[in-house]
Amino acid sequence: MAFLFLVPAFVAFGVFSYWPMIRGLLISFQETNLVDPATWVGLDNFTALVRDPLLYTAIANTLLFVGLGLLIGFPAPLILATVMSTVRKGAGVYRFLVYLPVVIPPVVAILLWKWFYDPGHGLFNELLGLIGAGPLPWLESPRTAMLSLVIQSTWAWMGSTVLIYLAAMVTIPAELYEAAQMDGASIARRLWHITLPQLRPTIGLLLLLQLVSTTQVFTEPYVFTDGGPENSTLTILLLIFRYAFRDGAYGQAAALAFLLAIFLGLMSAIYLRATRTWGSA
Amino acid sequence: MKKITASLGVAILATAVAACGSSAGSGQESGTVTLRVQGMPPATDKPGLAAFEKMVADFEKQNPGIAVEGSSAAYDPLTFSAKLAGGKVEDVIKVPLTEPQGLIARKQVKPLTAELAKWPHYKEFNPQVLRPLSDSGGEVYGVPQSPFAMGLVYNRELFEKAGLDPGKPPATWEEVRAHAKRIAEKTGKAGFVHESKNNQGGWQLTKLTYAFGGEMEKQSGDTWVAAFNAEPTRQALTLLKEMRWTDDSMGDNQLNDQNDVIKRFAAGEIGMYLGTPGTYRLAKMTYGMPNIDAFGIGPLPQAGGNATLTGGDVYMVPKSASAEKTAAAVKWLLFAYAQPQYDTGAAAERAKALAADPNAAVGVPTLPMFNEVRQAQIDEAVKPYVNVKLEHFQPWIEGTPKLQLRAEPPVRAQAVYAVLDSVVQAVLTDRDADVNTLLGKAEADVNAKLAASRQ
Repeated sequence: MAFLFLVPAFVAFGVFSYWPMIRGLLISFQETNLVDPATWVGLDNFTALVRDPLLYTAIANTLLFVGLGLLIGFPAPLILATVMSTVRKGAGVYRFLVYLPVVIPPVVAILLWKWFYDPGHGLFNELLGLIGAGPLPWLESPRTAMLSLVIQSTWAWMGSTVLIYLAAMVTIPAELYEAAQMDGASIARRLWHITLPQLRPTIGLLLLLQLVSTTQVFTEPYVFTDGGPENSTLTILLLIFRYAFRDGAYGQAAALAFLLAIFLGLMSAIYLRATRTWGSA
Repeated sequence: MKKITASLGVAILATAVAACGSSAGSGQESGTVTLRVQGMPPATDKPGLAAFEKMVADFEKQNPGIAVEGSSAAYDPLTFSAKLAGGKVEDVIKVPLTEPQGLIARKQVKPLTAELAKWPHYKEFNPQVLRPLSDSGGEVYGVPQSPFAMGLVYNRELFEKAGLDPGKPPATWEEVRAHAKRIAEKTGKAGFVHESKNNQGGWQLTKLTYAFGGEMEKQSGDTWVAAFNAEPTRQALTLLKEMRWTDDSMGDNQLNDQNDVIKRFAAGEIGMYLGTPGTYRLAKMTYGMPNIDAFGIGPLPQAGGNATLTGGDVYMVPKSASAEKTAAAVKWLLFAYAQPQYDTGAAAERAKALAADPNAAVGVPTLPMFNEVRQAQIDEAVKPYVNVKLEHFQPWIEGTPKLQLRAEPPVRAQAVYAVLDSVVQAVLTDRDADVNTLLGKAEADVNAKLAASRQ
């Protein structure tokens, strides 16, 4: 009888998740034009993949995005949540303001930021001009394009993370802080010795989620720069997209998607294993 | 019980999958072929839609047994693959001229020569407009709607403000450079903008290479190799670099595709760009250019090549269409797109219907779909309904026939363009970019792609 209740979920996941995944895996070993019967080509798609110099550019760029995301995008919401948790008046207003960017559709936000980043009369360069600095090329230079993407995406996604941290902070027993305060602990010490250890499972989970989502970054480089300038923002997902939708190389696209899925699965497994003790600490 | 529920689950799953895969839109009554065609104007374009509906009614009257269902969708690389795989793609698709070679190479479209040849005037088609729709064996895969040749689009108002003669667009690339510099200095707008993303940087560099007398690909034994690492492309890129960094005449935004450029042109932000007369329609109807009479176009400026690239939209039949539908589709293509370029009565009637809408662009000049005598007759027939300022297209009309019309690179043009996008971007965004190094690397990348191509 229990199985009957599972059927709707099984059907939904089967049709929309598992079957496309299996199909993708099959296509990675085939050559197809999606009309004629596909032909099996063994590992040809994978060979073509490793011979494409853009693959390595895309891997390096994706790692750079993940790295910059960890450096900027990971601590920012934690710091902000800590500061916000100490605010007594108007906490709701701050929460609303921080969460607002999440509500804006990503493409709309990116198009808005495209104007902020405009090298001629964009908001940022105008602001920099006021203090006598800049102008910076932002998206128009291979040196600053990826950083510009990370800054925007941190702004866009920080809201949800801040709310999760705030919710987790509420569960930290107030006695701990009271005891620390009586012992004369400073704010920094309270953060280091109480807040962070208490948040460890949440931090761990969010870190994993961020790693997985930043590795799959697509919308930002697609809408902002189309991978440019000089492929400096070409990410793995954008490369998969180009293979499939511009070159019609469906097999190669599926092969890369398959490798990415394996990589992410492995990373998640290693990460979960390494941090297994965190939750119970 | 377990067994029953398990089989029930499998049955539901199977039904769902079957429902997803079944053809919903076949709409085939006995004896009637239902043809789903792209190219129907959107509901917002009422006169265009009314003209299309009349065309459908006339066609159905002439061809009993064929029912036409219009679709306002056009070829979109994002959805095409999924629609093709799901058997949902229309029987006639509208494709920009940059795509046919890729579709032909992947065997996703049907060869149409046998069906087209049944039309008595087939042999009179201008071979230059069919070449970009044909494979190396001469098999034809489509019918063009409005064949164009690339030219130099310019803003006549900005020309005047900069003290330049709007009746005399630059004919050489040296003049383009001088004009761009002057526009930038006198008006503060970008004098000339070169596209650089979505494979359009490579596409535009191809036009420049042709104008400078170069080639994109050449045959070497059995294989094709890159031919752009040579003087013409080098000169073209050096010119762009000087315009960008020495003259500062290309504006601030360098990551643009054609839509970005036309949008900015319509807003009066750009002096000149490379495009077809067809971009007039986009500037007017899509981006609402307020002073559309400022639109001017001349032939592609030259630097020794005496050549330009063809462009426009074409109609093709996807491989998924049955033989019966393919035959019906070719009848429709000839009726809807070839006949009005051949038959003066049909041309005049079509133009009259279109001219009912003040927002429509009637009389935008094209290349002759057949021969020049026939085109002159057609032009004469539609003359009373023309609502574009033909004199602003005159330099293009007069200058283009003097140029050789060239097609896109024959093998994997889009892959070549993708590699060259980076080269163009480097030249436009990096003051220290070294053209020789960039071309050398691009040549190696393209050769690797051409060698790997399983054609």
